[in-house]
Amino acid sequence: MWDIVVQGEFVDDFAASISKTFMGFGLGAFFGVPVGYAMGKSRYWKSFFHDGVIGAGSIPGITYAVFALVIFGTGFLGPVLAVALISMPYIALSVAEGVEGVDADLVNMSTAFQRSRQDITRHVVFPSIMPFVFAGVRLSFAIAWKVEALTEVFGSSNGVGFQIRFAFQSFSITNVIAWTLLFILFMLLIERGLALVEARVFRWRIWEQAT
Amino acid sequence: MTAPTTTGPGASTGRKPLSKVRRVLTSDWGARISFYVAVIIAWQLLALQVARMPEPWETLDFLYREVTGGSHGGVITGEFWEHFLATLQRFSIGLLVGFVVGVVLGIAIGSIRFVRSLLNDVMLVFLALPAVIWAFLTVMWFGLGWEAPVYTVILAAIPFVAVNVAQGVRAVSPDLHRMSDAFRVPRERRIRNLMLPAISGYLFTGLRFAVIIGWNAVLLAEWFGSASGVGWRSRFWYDAARYRGFLGWVIVFILFIFVLDGLVMRPLQRRAFRWRDGWRGDESELSLDNVVATGI
Repeated sequence: MWDIVVQGEFVDDFAASISKTFMGFGLGAFFGVPVGYAMGKSRYWKSFFHDGVIGAGSIPGITYAVFALVIFGTGFLGPVLAVALISMPYIALSVAEGVEGVDADLVNMSTAFQRSRQDITRHVVFPSIMPFVFAGVRLSFAIAWKVEALTEVFGSSNGVGFQIRFAFQSFSITNVIAWTLLFILFMLLIERGLALVEARVFRWRIWEQAT
Repeated sequence: MTAPTTTGPGASTGRKPLSKVRRVLTSDWGARISFYVAVIIAWQLLALQVARMPEPWETLDFLYREVTGGSHGGVITGEFWEHFLATLQRFSIGLLVGFVVGVVLGIAIGSIRFVRSLLNDVMLVFLALPAVIWAFLTVMWFGLGWEAPVYTVILAAIPFVAVNVAQGVRAVSPDLHRMSDAFRVPRERRIRNLMLPAISGYLFTGLRFAVIIGWNAVLLAEWFGSASGVGWRSRFWYDAARYRGFLGWVIVFILFIFVLDGLVMRPLQRRAFRWRDGWRGDESELSLDNVVATGI
C-alpha cells in the first residue's frame, strides 16, 4: 500500500473516479430533484414512482454496472450513467420526504400575509427541504462511490475500480487489499467532510438537533 | 413532520367528480401500473436507439426458451433451473451462516462494552467494503468452486446483521431491566417479554439487509469465479455478446429480489416493528429508513 501512495499514481486514478462520480451524481440530482418534488406534492406521482424508488435500493449493484456497460461500452460514460441511475432514487426520496415535511401552517400563514410565491419558496419551502437533501446526499454519495468503482471493475481503462480489477487479474492479494483500503479511507474522509459541512450549514437549527 | 400535505386523500373530494376512466387511471394502483408500462415503453425506445440493447419481446422470448430448455439456435439449449437452484443453494447456506454469526457478534457488540469499543471502527470499515472485494478475495483464496460464493455471502452479510442487532440490543430500555431486577422477573420471561420484542424489529431489518446484500454478493462471486450459477450464466451470455440473454438473466436477478424483498422481507420487518410508534415506515414508505442498505 505504501508503494502505491509513494509512487503517486493513485492520484490520477482517484481523480478519474471522483470526476465520474460527481458527474453521475449531478446528473442524478438533475433528474432526481424534480421527481422527488413531484412525489412530495402529488399523491399520483408518489404512487407512480413508489415501486421504482423503493425497489431501486434492492436491485443488485451488478445490474447497474453491467447495464451501463451494455449501453455505453467501456468508455467513461458507463460509470457516469451507473452513478446517475443509482443516486437518482435516493435523491428523489430525500427531496420527497422534505417536501412532505414542509409545514403547511407556515405556508398558509405566508399566503395569508400575502407573501409572494417566490418568497415562500425561498424562506419556507427551501429551508425545510435542505436538511433532507443533505441527508440524502450524504447517504447516496457512499453508494454512488461504490457503484462507480464497481462499474470500473467491470470495464474501464482507469480509476480505482480498474486498479482493483487489475490487481485481481494479476492475482495479487496484497494489491487488492491495498487499493481497497485507499478506497475506503477516501470514502470515510468524504463522509466526514460532508458531515462537517452539514453541521456548518445547519448551525442555525441547533435547537432542533438536540432532540 | 406530521403536518398534513395539501394533497392528502381527502383533497380531491372537494373538486368536481372525475370520469370513471380517469378515476381508475389516477388511483394508486393505476399510477403504479402506469409506472411499469412507462418503464417498458422507455426500454423499447432505448432499444431502438442503442444497437446493443435488445428489445423487450426478444428478451422475454429468450427467457422463455431458457426456462423451458428450448434451443437458442445451434446446439446451445436453455439451462435455467440447474443454475438457479445452484445459486439458491449457495445463497441460502451463506445467508444462514452469515445471519447466525452476525447475530452472535451483534449481541456481543451491543452488550459488552469492551467488544463494542474493539469492533466499532472495524464494523465501520466492513460496512463500507463493497461486496466485489469479498468476491475477489474469496476467489483468490478458495479458487473456482462453491466456496467463493458462499463465503462472499457470509462475509458481506455479517456486518449489516451485526450492526442492526447491536442497535437492537442497545435499544432495550435499561429502566425496564432495572425494574425487572427489582421485581425479580425470571430470566426466561424477561427474554420473552422484554428482550425479544425489542430486538425482533432490528433482527428482521438485519435479515432483510443481509438478503439484499447477499443476493448481490452471490451474483458477483459467481460472475468472477464460478462455473455454474445465475451469475456465471449471465456472464456467459455477456461474454458471448448475446445481450438479450444477459438482460433476460438481469430480469431474473431483479424479479427474485423484488419478490423476496417486497412480498416477504418488508412485511415481516413492518410487522416486527409494529410496537414502535413513530416508525414512519408504517404510515408512509417515503422514507430513507426503508432503503438504507443497498445491494452493492
